[in-house]
Amino acid sequence: MADTKRKHRVLVVEDEDNIALALDFLMTREGYDHSRVANGAEALPRIRDLHPDLVLLDVMLPGASGYEICQGVRLDPDLADVKILMMTARGSAIEKRKGLAIGADGFITKPFELKELREEVRRLLDTGA
Amino acid sequence: MLDRLSLRIRVFLFFAALGLGVVVAISMGFGLGYRRLAAPEALSGFVQAWVVAGFVALLLVAWVWFLFDANVAKPIDILSGALRARAHSDVTSDMDVAIARYLGDLAPAATAAARRLTETRSALAESVMRETQRLSQEKARLETLLSDVPVGVLLVSGDHTLAFYNTQAVDLMAGGVAPGLDRRLFDYLRDGPVRHAHDRLIATGDPDAATDLLCTTTTGARVLAARMRLTPGGQGAAPGYVLTLRDVTADLSAHARREALLTEVFDRMRRPAANLSTLMAVVPPGEALPEAMERALRQELGALSQAVTELAGRHDEGRIEGGGLTQTRALDLADGLKARLEAEGVALQSTAAEVLLRANGFEIISLLDGLALHLRREIGAEDLSLRIDEEDSSAMIRLCWAGAPLGIGALERWLEEPLDRLVPEVSCRSVLASHATEIWPEPVAGGRQSLCLPIRQARRATARPKPVIRSVVYDFDLLSRARTDKVAETPLEALTYVVFDTETTGLLPQQGDEIVQIAAVRIVNGRRVDGEVFDTQVNPRRSIPLSSTEVHGITEAMVADAPEVDEVLRRFHKFAEGAVLIAHNAPFDMQFLRRREAELGLAFDHPVLDTVLLSAVIYGQHETHSLDALTHRLGITIPEADRHTAIGDTVATADAFLKLMPMLKGRELTTFGAVLTEVRKHGRLLKDLN
Repeated sequence: MADTKRKHRVLVVEDEDNIALALDFLMTREGYDHSRVANGAEALPRIRDLHPDLVLLDVMLPGASGYEICQGVRLDPDLADVKILMMTARGSAIEKRKGLAIGADGFITKPFELKELREEVRRLLDTGA
Repeated sequence: MLDRLSLRIRVFLFFAALGLGVVVAISMGFGLGYRRLAAPEALSGFVQAWVVAGFVALLLVAWVWFLFDANVAKPIDILSGALRARAHSDVTSDMDVAIARYLGDLAPAATAAARRLTETRSALAESVMRETQRLSQEKARLETLLSDVPVGVLLVSGDHTLAFYNTQAVDLMAGGVAPGLDRRLFDYLRDGPVRHAHDRLIATGDPDAATDLLCTTTTGARVLAARMRLTPGGQGAAPGYVLTLRDVTADLSAHARREALLTEVFDRMRRPAANLSTLMAVVPPGEALPEAMERALRQELGALSQAVTELAGRHDEGRIEGGGLTQTRALDLADGLKARLEAEGVALQSTAAEVLLRANGFEIISLLDGLALHLRREIGAEDLSLRIDEEDSSAMIRLCWAGAPLGIGALERWLEEPLDRLVPEVSCRSVLASHATEIWPEPVAGGRQSLCLPIRQARRATARPKPVIRSVVYDFDLLSRARTDKVAETPLEALTYVVFDTETTGLLPQQGDEIVQIAAVRIVNGRRVDGEVFDTQVNPRRSIPLSSTEVHGITEAMVADAPEVDEVLRRFHKFAEGAVLIAHNAPFDMQFLRRREAELGLAFDHPVLDTVLLSAVIYGQHETHSLDALTHRLGITIPEADRHTAIGDTVATADAFLKLMPMLKGRELTTFGAVLTEVRKHGRLLKDLN
C-alpha cells in the first residue's frame, strides 16, 4: 500500500470546487500528501516548486489549459519523473489520444468511478516508485 | 379556253387565222371581179391570179409568223420559264439575255429582277442562318446549364405529362421505370400534393406565383421538396408547370434522428435528476443517510452519468454524419493546401494515401493554411510537409516542419482566431468542433515537429466513379399538343411509339423457346428520344442452342445473372405503356410477349404496327421486306457490330419507321386508322395483330 518511507505527493489541478472536494477526500483516505491549485496559470510554478509524484490535471482550466500545463511539464527535464493523470468531462478517444501524445501518463473521463480513479492513481505511483 | 394554250400556240393560231382571213378576202375579191366581168373564158386567168395572190399572201403571213415566233413568242416563253424557276427554287445563275434581244428592255429588266431576287434571297438565308446559329448556341448553353444545376428540373404539361427533364430528375424519381417524355408525372410522384399545388396556383390567377410542396415518389422511397411555377401559354386548357425537385430524405431523417436524440436526452436525464432531488429532499440536512437510500442515490447517479456519457458519444457520431461533411479525397485536400500556400509563397511537400475523408475540405484547408502561416511567422518553421495517412477507419493529417516545437498555449491562441477574416463568427476552433476532432503538436522522426489532426471517418478511395453524363431531354411541342383518345383518328406523328426487337433461343415459342434479350426505343412527337432506351438481357432458364448464339452472340454465361423473363416483361410493359408497339415482323416478337399475359396478369394489347407491312404498303408486295433490304432502300446503315443485337436492330427499325412515316403521309395515309386500313390489304403477307 502506501510507501512507508515517505508519503506520495499528489497535486490536484482542478477549478471545480466540488470535484476538488471529492478528490481531497479520496487522497486523504488513500493516505497521500496532497494539495490543490484552482488556476491553470499557477499550476506550473506550483509543480516546479512542489515536485509532486503525481499531478491530477483537469483539461478545462482558467488561465492555461491542462494540455498546455502538461506540455510545460514534459518540456522541463527536471520534472521528468512527475506523473500526469489528465481528467476531462468530454472524453472522446481523440481527446485521450491528444493527452497521451502530449505526454500525459493516464487519461480518465469524468464522472469517474471511485475504483477506477484509485486504481489508475496507484498504477501510476507504483510504476514511478 | 384559249387562255390555257401556250403563248406560242396562241400566236401560231393568230397568224393561221390571219392567213385564212387573207385567203378568204382574196377569194371574195377575185369571185366578185369574175362575176362582174361575166366572161367565162377569163376563168382560168382569174384562178391563176387567185392562186398566185393567195400563195404570196400566205407566204408573207408565214414569214411574219416565223419571225414573230422566233424573236418574240419563244423568248418570252424561255424568259418566263427562267423567271419561274428563280421564283420557286433557288436557281442562282444569270439568265441568257441574247435570246431576247428583240424584246427591247424586257430581258435586261427581267435579269435585273432575278438578280435582285437572288440577292434578297441569299441575304435572307444568311440572316436566317445567323439567327439559327445564335439560337442553337443559346439552346446548347441552356441545356448545359439545366443539365448541371444540382436540382431536378421537370417541365410538365397541364395534363401532367413530361415535356422536359434533366438527369438529376431521373435520379430523383427513378424507381422501377426511368422517366420518359410524354409519360405521366404520376407514374413517378404521388399525385395528391402535385394536383393540389397545381389547382392552388391556377386558382390564384397570378402568373408569377410559385408554391412549395413536399412530394413522395410512388415507391415511397424518397421525399422530395419541390417548387412549382406555372408556365405561360396554353389557351383554354390547364396551364403546364415547371417543377424543381430536391431530395430532402436525408435532411429529414437527420432532423428526425436529432429530434429523437434530444427527446431521449431529456427523457434519460429528467428521471434520474428528479429521483435524486426527491431522495435528497426527504433526508433533513445533516442527518446520516439510511443505507437503502444511499444505495438508491448511488444507483440514480450511476444511471445519470452513464446516460450523459453515452448520449454525448452519440451526439458526436451524429455530428459527423450530418453537418455538411462530405467525402473529400485526401489527394485533393493536399493539392488544395499546396496551392493555397504556394500562392502565399510557401512551398509544401505532400504525400497523401488513397483515402476519402469525411470532412469539409474548404474548412480543413483554410485551417491548415492559417496554422502553416502562423508556424512560419511565429516560430520560423522551415521545410513544411503534409502527410495524410489511413488509420483503420479514420485518417491522420500531419503538418510537419523543421524547427522549434510548438507550444500548446500558442496553438490555442491561433485556434481562437477566425478561419477567415471576413467571417469572424467561424473560428478555427469551431472547425475542430464540427469535425468532432482535436489538434495537437507532436515530435516526429528525424527531429521534425508536427501538428496532428485526426479525421474520424475515412475509407479507402476506390477508383473515381465514372462521371455521369448529364443531359436534358425535352420536346416542348408536347406542351401544346391536342390529344384525342381515339388512336385511329390520331395523326401518325402525334402518337408515341415503342419500337422493339427481341433475340430468342429459337424460332418456336410453342416448343419452349424463350427471349434472351429485349431492346426498345421510344419515338415521341416524331422523334426518337436518345436517352430513353430499354435494353436488357434475359435469363431464359433454359439452354441457348449454339445455332442461336451464332446469330445474336449471347451465351448462357452472359445471361446467368440477368433478370428472368417475368420481371423483364413487367418492366417492358411499363416502358411501353400508352404507346403503339412497332417491330419488324411483329407477329414473331408479339408471340413471345403475349403467351405470358395470363401468368403476368398483364395484357400486351397495345396497337401494333409492323415495318414489314409498312414496307409492303410503300414498295409493293413484290419487293423483299427483310430489315436489311428495307434499311438499305432507305439509306440507313446498321453498324456491323450492332446487326442482330436487339438494340442495333431496334434503332434501325425505328429509323426506318421514321423515314416511312412521311412517305405514308405522301400517300394521304395521315392517321393511324388510315394506315391500318391500308396495311390490312396486305394481310396475306403477314397476320395483322390489331
